[in-house]
Amino acid sequence: MLMPPFTLHHPQSIEEAVSLAAELIGKDEAFDWVAGGTDVLPNYKWHINPKPHVISLAAIADAHALSTCEIGCMVPLASLTSANGVHPLLVEAASKVASTLIRKSATVGGNLCLDTRCFWYNQGEDWRRSIDWCHKADCGTGADCRVIPNQNTLCVATYQGDMAPNFMVLGASVVLIGPEGERTLPLQEFYQLDGMKKNVLEPGEFLLKVVLPDDVMQREGCYQKLRVRDSWDFPEAGIAASWVPGQMESLTIASTALESIPRLHADVVGEHMAPRSSELDVIALSKAIQKSVKPVNNTALPPRYRRSMVKTLTKRALQGLFGER
Amino acid sequence: MRSDTMGTYRQQPGSKGSETRRDGKRVAGKQRFPPPGSGGSDPVMRPRDLDFIPETVGGREAKPAGDHIHDRDRTGTTVGKSIALVDSNAKVTGQAWYGDDVRLSGEIIGKILRSPHHYARIKSIDTTRVEALPGVLAVATGQDAPNRFGVLPVTKDEHAMAVDKVRHVGDLVACVAAVDEATAVHALSLFDIEWEMLEPVFDPKKGLEDHDEPIHWRGKYHLARTNVQKRVFQEFGDRSLVNSPRASSHGSWTMSGVHHGFTEPHAVVAHWDPNGRLQLYTPQQVPHYTHRALSTVLEVPMHQINVVRTFVGGGFGGKSDPFPHEMCAAILARKSGRPVRITFDREEVYWINRGRHPSHIDVKMTADDEGRISGFDIDALIDGGGFASFGHVTSYYNGVLATAPYELGSFHYTGARVWTNKPASGAMRGHGAVNTRCAVEVGLDEMAESMEVDPIDLRLANLLPPHSRTISGFRITSNGMREALERVREGSDWDEKFRQMPLGKGIGIGCGFFISGSGLPIHWDPKNFPHATVHIQVDMDGGVTVHTGAADIGQGSTTAVAQVVAEVLALPIEMIHVRSHESDTSPVDLGSYSSRVTFMNANAAIRAAIGIRDQLLKAAWEMLGYHPNVLVLNDRRIYYKHDPAVSISYLEALHKAQADTGALIARGAYRSPPMGGVHKGAAAGLAPAYSFSAYVAEVDVDVETGLVKCTNVWAAHDCGKALNPLAVKGQIIGSCHMGLGQVLSEKMVYGRTGHLQNANLLDYKIPSVHEMPHVEPIIVESSDPEGPFGAKEAGEGPLLPILPAVVNAVYDAIGVRLRDLPLTPDVVFNGIQKHMKTNGLDDETDLSPPRLQHGPLQAPLMERAAEHKERDRLRQRSEDTSAYVNGVLFGFDPNRPLSEQLEGWREADEPLPEQLAELGFAGRAWLKKEQRQMEDDA
Repeated sequence: MLMPPFTLHHPQSIEEAVSLAAELIGKDEAFDWVAGGTDVLPNYKWHINPKPHVISLAAIADAHALSTCEIGCMVPLASLTSANGVHPLLVEAASKVASTLIRKSATVGGNLCLDTRCFWYNQGEDWRRSIDWCHKADCGTGADCRVIPNQNTLCVATYQGDMAPNFMVLGASVVLIGPEGERTLPLQEFYQLDGMKKNVLEPGEFLLKVVLPDDVMQREGCYQKLRVRDSWDFPEAGIAASWVPGQMESLTIASTALESIPRLHADVVGEHMAPRSSELDVIALSKAIQKSVKPVNNTALPPRYRRSMVKTLTKRALQGLFGER
Repeated sequence: MRSDTMGTYRQQPGSKGSETRRDGKRVAGKQRFPPPGSGGSDPVMRPRDLDFIPETVGGREAKPAGDHIHDRDRTGTTVGKSIALVDSNAKVTGQAWYGDDVRLSGEIIGKILRSPHHYARIKSIDTTRVEALPGVLAVATGQDAPNRFGVLPVTKDEHAMAVDKVRHVGDLVACVAAVDEATAVHALSLFDIEWEMLEPVFDPKKGLEDHDEPIHWRGKYHLARTNVQKRVFQEFGDRSLVNSPRASSHGSWTMSGVHHGFTEPHAVVAHWDPNGRLQLYTPQQVPHYTHRALSTVLEVPMHQINVVRTFVGGGFGGKSDPFPHEMCAAILARKSGRPVRITFDREEVYWINRGRHPSHIDVKMTADDEGRISGFDIDALIDGGGFASFGHVTSYYNGVLATAPYELGSFHYTGARVWTNKPASGAMRGHGAVNTRCAVEVGLDEMAESMEVDPIDLRLANLLPPHSRTISGFRITSNGMREALERVREGSDWDEKFRQMPLGKGIGIGCGFFISGSGLPIHWDPKNFPHATVHIQVDMDGGVTVHTGAADIGQGSTTAVAQVVAEVLALPIEMIHVRSHESDTSPVDLGSYSSRVTFMNANAAIRAAIGIRDQLLKAAWEMLGYHPNVLVLNDRRIYYKHDPAVSISYLEALHKAQADTGALIARGAYRSPPMGGVHKGAAAGLAPAYSFSAYVAEVDVDVETGLVKCTNVWAAHDCGKALNPLAVKGQIIGSCHMGLGQVLSEKMVYGRTGHLQNANLLDYKIPSVHEMPHVEPIIVESSDPEGPFGAKEAGEGPLLPILPAVVNAVYDAIGVRLRDLPLTPDVVFNGIQKHMKTNGLDDETDLSPPRLQHGPLQAPLMERAAEHKERDRLRQRSEDTSAYVNGVLFGFDPNRPLSEQLEGWREADEPLPEQLAELGFAGRAWLKKEQRQMEDDA
């Protein structure tokens, strides 16, 4: 397996990175950002949408920020520990990502911007040639989607990051920087329901850091991850829930690995809101969340099963929140 | 001046210096040659280790299973001791050289063009553009090597590259060698190929039907126009016993294909040396098969080829076929005149496959009023993929390896292997026996439940004894099945846990039975040529060089051979050097498969070592004046039995023995005794010995998600005699890991388009360390009369019982029988949901796990088991040497043919016309006729 050649750039500052990106755009040369490389480089090795340029964020100081309320995109998942003041829910979620070895390299930014996954897509080049390519990596053929044939408008590859739903339920925002300047968005608005576009990043823009509310430590959370093996595996379904203990209106639930984006289920939670946790119809709420997601057949476990599990995972996440009370 | 220096060299400088004789003449100084050898690095001789010398020859090692012919060859040196494998230092320091570590000067890189189509005819290949690419040094297509090869002489259906048709996605079409990998990869895109698409077959059931274009064509032996590669029918016994059973079980199983998942991908380097000989470096389990196939394909005599086996980074059966890429490398190297290296991507590893067959297995069993297994019907339809590989044997093994350890009233087997347009299945650890074994053991569990008896007691009351014959004529020698069952029952607290644990917690039992070496060497008649040969050479330095063709694939065969030689010669293991890498220097050997190495090679090695020992003892006799019968070997010394002060060192004896002949040479060979029946297929499953095992597994089942976690395993395996207990335990634990993968998470997923969806190690889910239960390995030693020091295999058999033990434990935990492997959470969840729907349950927590109230049959079974225990003890120790054949339990006389005693007794290899209507899936292959029969009809 041979990685296609590319030029690696090492900008030393945000400004340099942004101007480098602008320069490449100006020359019409494609590039990818790279942080830990545990997602983009395996894809390159499989010749999945490789680019001639790769810009590393490793040398940008701001990208390494790490405190309770600010986590830079270059922070390795292994550094998300209580000792570093990180919220326990994020510590728990990070500890469930991939394996110990991968967490040393894999970063927060990379996990949030994780490429969507699909078993028709995450394959070697020979393999994808044997299916005449797919919509997401069509190699110029205009190939159809292999998951849901006869619709080549939308890619339904699945977002399988663990961190995003957990950041969402804690009320996180992301700071994006690009040629047009800096902007801050709530994390749930960062994602865009399209397996190819994935998020709202404009050309030349990158995710610099995640910002959490000042009172985030008042929140408690629980993350339920469904997977076959307790190491390596991406989530087949994941539910995160959080609240400020005793304050029902603070309850938030988010899901991952069920669609092309992680989703914060604010509406569904609102519809089932109850004054006290003991009065909350956990089963009804879990079923409603289950109803609101529609996984497709492109990961290891069948979509019907993954959807069934949403109910159980939500129930368990809520029990984890309310259990001790 | 000493007289013994007469006639030795003069003019030697030395400490003694010159001297002047009395007559005034000066005589040059001289010195004895320093001894050329050494006695090993330990300066202290170790005392005789009586704990490792059998009590039968005066030591303290207990021999409950009786004495053994090799007892008097024991010296207490290494056998039975836990030692590190002799190649472990090379491996843990990263110095072991695997296939891709071979670097020859001037080497170039080969790449293989693979089929993007499931099934297509190649109308033309134009290589003009490839050849024109700068940097490309050789191109080859199927036309360059049209000779067919295959691992079995009866089913040679492979080519180096597709000659006419491609048979699965990933099949080899052409290959190219270039100065570097990037150029070679680029070159692959420049082939211009015209294809004619053919209609592929993916479902093995469809493979039984006639097809316009069968995947292979066998001429007059082809079965109609189907894709059936092999069909088997075997029937033994009296079918009338099956009528009016006390209990019965019928299980229909779907088992996914699994892959070996070895760490090292295939890699090969081919080099034609200046003399025009081919040097081929490859991580092979069976270099000899590659050697033969290369000769056929390249049309070069075998002596012009040297196959060098590199270290093998895991094989498990997946590196025992001769492979087309090995041919490709040799062809490219010949064309380019440069060494060519081909290393696979993981995807290519899955495409060449040879993993366990995806199977549809039906097992029907019945038990009579006395709790005896009266009926035993197996139907196995196995999916062979695009090529035959070992499939001919697998087709038999799926049935015949289920004929023990239980005594059966009748045995009925129909098997069929079909070609499909998928990567070829082949041999994998536990070859052919694993899937049926699982179905059989779960069937027994089900019958025990309906008879209201404990499944362990049911087994204990139905075991074949040591020194008996199975219903199909296999010769059982040593048999530690009973002890294995008793020990796991005790170790796991079975009687306190079985059918007594809360919902979601379960415990289950499974047994296993496996061959210890195949009785038939595939390529020759054992009457004409032995199974294994070992050469030993001892030169002046005292080091012992052992030449064997046994391929160490990580299982420790080199260590086993070194150990037995060290044991016989009473030398530290560091003085034994095993050379097994090159076919130039290794005696012809069948390599590492069918769990034959310890049994066959170690036996041959013992014989060779005895040859060396006898030469040493003869020299010692001359020096000490005592006959070898009263000489004892111990740690680099030979001494008189009754006065250890009368002794010489190993080196002194060695140099004396070498005085006239130079280096000592000896060879030893092993051949299996004649055995087995005469029916068609009688040789399949024949082995000089069989291993037995029993496992108890404990599981936690999450009833809401269907996730199964195996928490504890008690694993008892009868390996005859553990030459190296550490290695045996490693094999047991490793087998558990591999079997757990198959039963819980591993599967080769073929999607709706027939493509293999998970050709990578992320999506092909081999259990991680988190999924690994605590395994308690229990070694049972039944001392096989023909095994080396009593040993039998321990590499494959231990895999079998873990599957049924886990499946039975899941039933114990949730009360739902599941028969789709692997038991991924969705399978378990769906099973639970279906069960709840049938039983009108709303909540998973309302499931009721099964409970056991012993029925009236329990007491008689326990009584019979107790009687049989004494019977087995006497037979094992050869205190009872009467004949015993399958059928004695049913009241027959073992000394007369059963066909004389029982009117309904039938032995058949073809179904009767009236049986055709009731055959299972695989049996339906018998509804078709071979082409030659069709011609006859026409």
